[in-house]
Amino acid sequence: MNKETTIHWLLVVASFIGMIDSAYIGFISLTDTLIPCGLTLGCDKVLSSPYSHLGNVSISWIGLLFYLLVASNSIFGLSGFRQAFKITLAASTLAFLITLYLLYIQIFILKAFCDYCLLSAFLVILILGLQLKLNFWGKTELSI
Amino acid sequence: MPKKTSPTGNRSKDRKRLKKQSPSILTPVLLIIFFVVAAVGVALYLKLSSTEGVRNQTSSINNSSTIASVLSTNGWTKGNGAAKAVLVEFGDFQCGACAAARLRISKIIEQYGSQLKVVFKQYPMQRIHRNAMIAAQAAEAAGQQFKFWEMHDLLFERQNRWAQVPDAHTIFLKYASELGLDLARFKRDMWDSKTKEKIYRDVMEGQIAQVQSVPAFFLNGKPLRNARDDAEFENLILEGIQSIQ
Repeated sequence: MNKETTIHWLLVVASFIGMIDSAYIGFISLTDTLIPCGLTLGCDKVLSSPYSHLGNVSISWIGLLFYLLVASNSIFGLSGFRQAFKITLAASTLAFLITLYLLYIQIFILKAFCDYCLLSAFLVILILGLQLKLNFWGKTELSI
Repeated sequence: MPKKTSPTGNRSKDRKRLKKQSPSILTPVLLIIFFVVAAVGVALYLKLSSTEGVRNQTSSINNSSTIASVLSTNGWTKGNGAAKAVLVEFGDFQCGACAAARLRISKIIEQYGSQLKVVFKQYPMQRIHRNAMIAAQAAEAAGQQFKFWEMHDLLFERQNRWAQVPDAHTIFLKYASELGLDLARFKRDMWDSKTKEKIYRDVMEGQIAQVQSVPAFFLNGKPLRNARDDAEFENLILEGIQSIQ
């Protein structure tokens, strides 16, 4: 397995976990149920705050679309289509900036953390790193 | 100019080989569909199993789980605690109808408080009321310092001041300060996992009792039908009190 394939597989796995995470939060947001919060105890505070929604829609559904884009790009990449969706890197950068903003909200405004949001933040950072590796840093090496 | 030739010297064979090597779009599309269905399926399973876990926990409080036995035991009470007639309300601090119902309940307690026990249970409808959950937490935290009903009244009276703001918890801190509560303890209790668990139990009880909307009233364990006005509400309560004496 060459490096490019490995990176694509890592991206598929990361976005698959991200899809589960964001769909779970999305389903929770559709019902009047509280959420089990293992480590941080701040899930309710974060997820019921107005920052977690755009209008009446939970931002986790937007996250789900982002992970779907990343997974699709890498699955196409693994199937022989190089850079099927060129906007993936731009989307990953945008997701990274939104993640930084949401981390800021959790640390300085809500002063509460949510396990699921932290997992998503980690995945977005990982995805951006892997996308950069795929597109720039390792390009010469990878394209051999 | 040299004539372009295929390395193998056979163009049609090369074209066939290239056609064979060109990737099919069907496989990745099917894989993507599989990944999405699997991820959403896992998420749905996790959501259902986590809800079911708490539901079982709530059911274990009272295995008979008839509405009356589940509803009459816990909650914040007013009126005569020893009265046989029990009115249970499932309320949401961000719901306008609940704020209006508070005045009705106050009148009922004034008139029939000696013959009636009124129980308030939390039913924050988070999906439509973004600040309902933290309002419920604030009321519970005030309750830890024996000021539940005072906070209950403040939250309903000033509902339009905090209902739509992004940082309602800072407003609740001011209310706690007005009520003379220990603020450090209030903050700690407000975000304590036990507080949330208690609210969650109320919500689960409401779900067992098939609460569809708020405020939902149960008189002596039976759902109270919607009253058109204060007079009809009073009559229904009076009938309930008389039937159980």
